[in-house]
Amino acid sequence: MGSSARRNDARWSLGVLAPERCRSIVVITADGELAVAVRDTVPTRIAVIRDARPDDALEVAAACLPWPWMVVGATESLTPAMATMLRTRPVLTLWLGPAPAGVPAHALSFARPAALLAAVDSACRANVGGMRLAPGSGVELGDGTLLRGATLDALVGAHPGGFALPSRTFRTVALALARHGAAWTPERDGARVALVPCVREVVRA
Amino acid sequence: MRANPEVLILEDDAETLDELQNHFARKRFHPLAARSASRALSLLEHNRYSSRPVLAIVDWDLGKAPDRSASSGDVLSRLARELRECPVIVYSQNIDAFNVRSQIQRSHPRALLHDKRDGDASLLERVDRMLDRTVGDLRIHDGTVVVHLPSLDQHHHREAIRLVVHHPDIVSFHSDTATKAVRRFGEWLRDHESAVTLVSHGNRKYRLSVSVSSGETSAGDEA
Repeated sequence: MGSSARRNDARWSLGVLAPERCRSIVVITADGELAVAVRDTVPTRIAVIRDARPDDALEVAAACLPWPWMVVGATESLTPAMATMLRTRPVLTLWLGPAPAGVPAHALSFARPAALLAAVDSACRANVGGMRLAPGSGVELGDGTLLRGATLDALVGAHPGGFALPSRTFRTVALALARHGAAWTPERDGARVALVPCVREVVRA
Repeated sequence: MRANPEVLILEDDAETLDELQNHFARKRFHPLAARSASRALSLLEHNRYSSRPVLAIVDWDLGKAPDRSASSGDVLSRLARELRECPVIVYSQNIDAFNVRSQIQRSHPRALLHDKRDGDASLLERVDRMLDRTVGDLRIHDGTVVVHLPSLDQHHHREAIRLVVHHPDIVSFHSDTATKAVRRFGEWLRDHESAVTLVSHGNRKYRLSVSVSSGETSAGDEA
């Protein structure tokens, strides 16, 4: 669709499609009810909730720059493009009911909404050895330093879990954490990469 | 220099609109008042003062609006797309209904919700709480003045108010005049040896930082 056509399309003018660099949670449902519940769970300064429908989920996700921090879904299927985005980026993926085909191996599925909302809440309040999600975006280290980067945000939110993605995805985060003397680093543990205590630092000490 | 901050008020009931308008005028805001969504959109486009309100109050239910060619959702979408840093309060009699909340969230993901059944006084109390903010050694007084608490000196420009209201978020400014006002505020902070400093992010984007000896760096994937 061309940009002039988009400007005339009422749906394209929706605020939920406005690009933004702040941490975002995309909630994909047919009716929006779960998005309302997620919004009631998440502290407003931690993440913006983007209420998506299956047919505009990819556009909504594309508006989250550089990519969504979390995708929550309650649909039986997912478009191939959306599934590809979830499999190639460190995005926390939570599903109500059986996860549809194509979602990454690190996706979590929940039988009850309450359990899913508890997991969302837990990710928002994650504390990994003093590292916590800062308001808006970025991670605040124990000494107050703010490190900005969507991959680190994702690793902290997913802790102690991780992502079924290649280790190279996390190389820049490992370097940034080492540069700041953080006691945690992303490391492969079986099929996933997760934040683990930095053994090398402990040995040196 | 004085420049009163603006508040957009969209309310279809003439009496309630008058009440809200008077409240903000008493507090030395410049109210941009509209009874219909199309009028609100036009105020945002053609307001000769600045068109960038520090706050927007939007009635979701516009059954009494004199012109129904646009909806409150259109105003919210415009605010979300073009005035992202402007806090928005949306109120409705049906704010508990999930379909209403979902529609509001689709129009403006950051909109704050308020129950109209709690009355206007409750809405104004909430607005006052939002606007009377303290950041480091700065405090907004009455929504229109930034006070440096140690010296009690005051800074009156609306762009300064905007930065304090939106702390810690980055705020975009859209004219040379606004940017100059922001820089003057930064100098004022330095002159007063405030614990709050002005941080430039380039492209007319600024934010306030409270100095707690913290650094800020990139972890690499958002350049």
